[in-house]
Amino acid sequence: MQPKHLDTRVVAARRRAVIVAATMLTSIVAFPTLGSTQNAGKPIVIARDMDLNSLDPSRAFCDTCQIYLSSVYDRLVDLSPDNKSIVPMLAKEWTANSDATVLTFKLDPKATFSDGSQVEAKDVKWTFERLKNIKGGMAYLLDNVKSIETPDKETVVIALTAPNSEFVGSLTAPYAGIINSDAVAEHGGEAGPEASSKDNAEQWLLANSAGAGPYVLESYSPNHELRLKRNDNYWGKKPSVEEFVFLQTKDAVSQTQLLENGSADIAMQVDPTTAKAINNENVIVETAPSFNMVYVAVSPGAKNLPHPLDAKIREAIASAIDYDGIIDLTVDGKGKRLPAPIPNGFPGGGIGEPIKHDVEKAKGLMKEAGAADGFTLAATYPNVNQYGVDYTLMMQKIQQDLAEINIKLELQPVEFSVWREKVNGDGIPLTAVFFAPDYYGSSQYAQYFAMMDGTVWYKRAGGKNDPSLANPETPKLLAAALAAQGEKSGELFGKLAGVLANDRIILPIVSPDAVFVSRKGISGLRFSACCNMVLSDIQAK
Amino acid sequence: MTQYVFRRLISMPLLLLGVATMAFFLSHFTQADPLSALVSERQMGNPEVVAAAKQRWGLDRSMPEQYAIYVKNLVTGDLGVSFRTRRPVLTDIAERLPATLELVIFAMLFGTTSGIVLGVVASRFHDRPADYAARFFALFGSTVPVFWSGLLLLYLFTVKFGLIPGPGRLDARADQPPFVTGMFTLDALLSGQFGTFLDALHHLVLPAFVLGWSVTGIISRLVRASMLDVLGQDYILAARAKGAGEARTLLRHALPNAMIPTLTIVGYSFAYLITGAVLTEAVFAWPGIGSYAVDSARTLDYPAIIGVSLIGATAFLLTNLVTDVAYAYANPRIKLG
Repeated sequence: MQPKHLDTRVVAARRRAVIVAATMLTSIVAFPTLGSTQNAGKPIVIARDMDLNSLDPSRAFCDTCQIYLSSVYDRLVDLSPDNKSIVPMLAKEWTANSDATVLTFKLDPKATFSDGSQVEAKDVKWTFERLKNIKGGMAYLLDNVKSIETPDKETVVIALTAPNSEFVGSLTAPYAGIINSDAVAEHGGEAGPEASSKDNAEQWLLANSAGAGPYVLESYSPNHELRLKRNDNYWGKKPSVEEFVFLQTKDAVSQTQLLENGSADIAMQVDPTTAKAINNENVIVETAPSFNMVYVAVSPGAKNLPHPLDAKIREAIASAIDYDGIIDLTVDGKGKRLPAPIPNGFPGGGIGEPIKHDVEKAKGLMKEAGAADGFTLAATYPNVNQYGVDYTLMMQKIQQDLAEINIKLELQPVEFSVWREKVNGDGIPLTAVFFAPDYYGSSQYAQYFAMMDGTVWYKRAGGKNDPSLANPETPKLLAAALAAQGEKSGELFGKLAGVLANDRIILPIVSPDAVFVSRKGISGLRFSACCNMVLSDIQAK
Repeated sequence: MTQYVFRRLISMPLLLLGVATMAFFLSHFTQADPLSALVSERQMGNPEVVAAAKQRWGLDRSMPEQYAIYVKNLVTGDLGVSFRTRRPVLTDIAERLPATLELVIFAMLFGTTSGIVLGVVASRFHDRPADYAARFFALFGSTVPVFWSGLLLLYLFTVKFGLIPGPGRLDARADQPPFVTGMFTLDALLSGQFGTFLDALHHLVLPAFVLGWSVTGIISRLVRASMLDVLGQDYILAARAKGAGEARTLLRHALPNAMIPTLTIVGYSFAYLITGAVLTEAVFAWPGIGSYAVDSARTLDYPAIIGVSLIGATAFLLTNLVTDVAYAYANPRIKLG
């Protein structure tokens, strides 16, 4: 038998061990969350599912790219908060000749890059030539530029191949942000005709920025974190927030959790249904109309169709969809219908009434087309939740709606890359996808959706094999709208919108409202048609 | 033993080449568009832009040519450039692997320790309430999907009680420790940043628990079964007859013998978690290899897919080797040759 005093020592030692372990465990678990206690003077954290594919203005194309580039690279012109008016930025003024084919921009002599060097005409020429010659994400913005001249260091003269009343507006796109040509050329940047194969600056631009914007890149870790800090040499009005951190946060629920426990200040992709469930007095939910669009596309040229998707069938499909029901179901009613695939508020957008949900009319059209008994259509779509719309939910509702006119949809949710392969290959009879503008202007919609040679959806709809799909009115209307100015231009874009709508290839479902969720004390959040969200407008208490 | 290890090590490059070849051809035969991360939707109608992207990324070459170039670069340690992040795959992996390793090490520490304790307790109190409770906990951990338990625990401990910080490795407002190993807890300690160490540890608690729970289930069941087997052996009876206490009998005589089959599972679990922490990393926004692999697969990012496959294969090969060696040490009857 062991002596009694030994037992007592063992028990005491065990007690001490338990106390130490418990203390350690408590200190780990109950260590206060930093987010809730250390906000003052710290960066503003934005929880976002970042879709960044590059930080190089000439190569990037994504929603987060718009926010980053517009914060770091000032453009010649900016879009005012009314989302319509073009206002000076690096160019203090600009003029156009009588037919708007030659534009002259005068640079603000005060404008400097973040390294302190002056923004000169040569930088503008180099930036635009690089964007065009790299043939990257948004080169289309400069498709109709014939030449760029720089008569002096503060003047840029751009000649166009044809009149384009939307050209100046298109330069508000973040991808047209002006790059410090000396800095980037020094790190492999190339703007000449061989730029697509010779430019090697992209990797340098993933770790450095070379713009004249209010923020500079501090650090970037793909799919994890993007840090921007205030440009202390900024030539314009200095923004109030010193530092922003974008934190990769995949879904709306996680974004909300971060916000509610104080680890984030702003969440940008919270859908209306999740936002509705937030019950926290320190969290503010605001909505604003966006210019994003969720749409269904019908492709008469897709292979192996069980029945031709002619004009009558397309009209029947368009009439059978319960648009309001989808808006209620997917975004809790927080969205607008669009009469045509051009956003309300854009030139020619929002004119007329959107197509009505009319099942009887749809059934009649099916009968007239000899398809009263219906048929089955493959409906492959990207399995995403974009702009708050759950695509599977939306497609299930459309499946239900079309079943009423005996069209059976076979839903096939796939990854975006698989969808791209299918839609550009054999084609997809009926699909759904999304679109966001790069700038305030309607020509980008015509150039993407219109049934005319060279557009993405003309090819996908089967225009190559069936030229009868082409609408000869469209290119003429587009050219006329771009040649006209002001109200006349808007009127012609309105006609163009009508043509796009009546093709019934692109069926706009909803323009979902932008939902901004933030902690109390954050202000200045707004949706911008060119730039998504403008960081320099944000203020924090 | 040395010869055995050497033979295993020199056979690794060949095995890795096989893995790279499989990953290369499988990803190239997938019906998806690798240009989705390279060419914007807007530009898909522009043949010049599509051709320029294909040329830049070598996608205009035939598959055998692409394969030959890949293997040639691989020999020099170049895993190519990711279509999605536009950075060298090696840089991406070097940045993300420490995050996964840190998570997996903590998960394994929790999973192995709790698994062994629960297994011993369950065997000692065989068919009694403690056994049932331990088995229920273990079964729950290995059957409940991570996306459910992770989200539920996040909701409870982060939103409801505010005890645990939200997703991520470190509070975004905290200063990151200087890079030494890439593991924030270790780097913070090495640089003397105790606050950062606690913050990193705090962020690790929940994901490591969720990830380790599945290991707890496997190990505790295995330890329980082995212990029950061992406890019925004559030498245990002999130990008890000689007056050994219950704790000594269990921990000194029974457990070491019961642990031998467990070693294999521990080694396998470690390699499995390195490549299989996908869901945990997704739920907890953990910037590791798992989430990198998923994002790469979704965009058909060939170089990244092959790079991750190589990392996974290396992890399996190395842990298998370490397990085999450990097995031989633990059981002198096993001869490696």
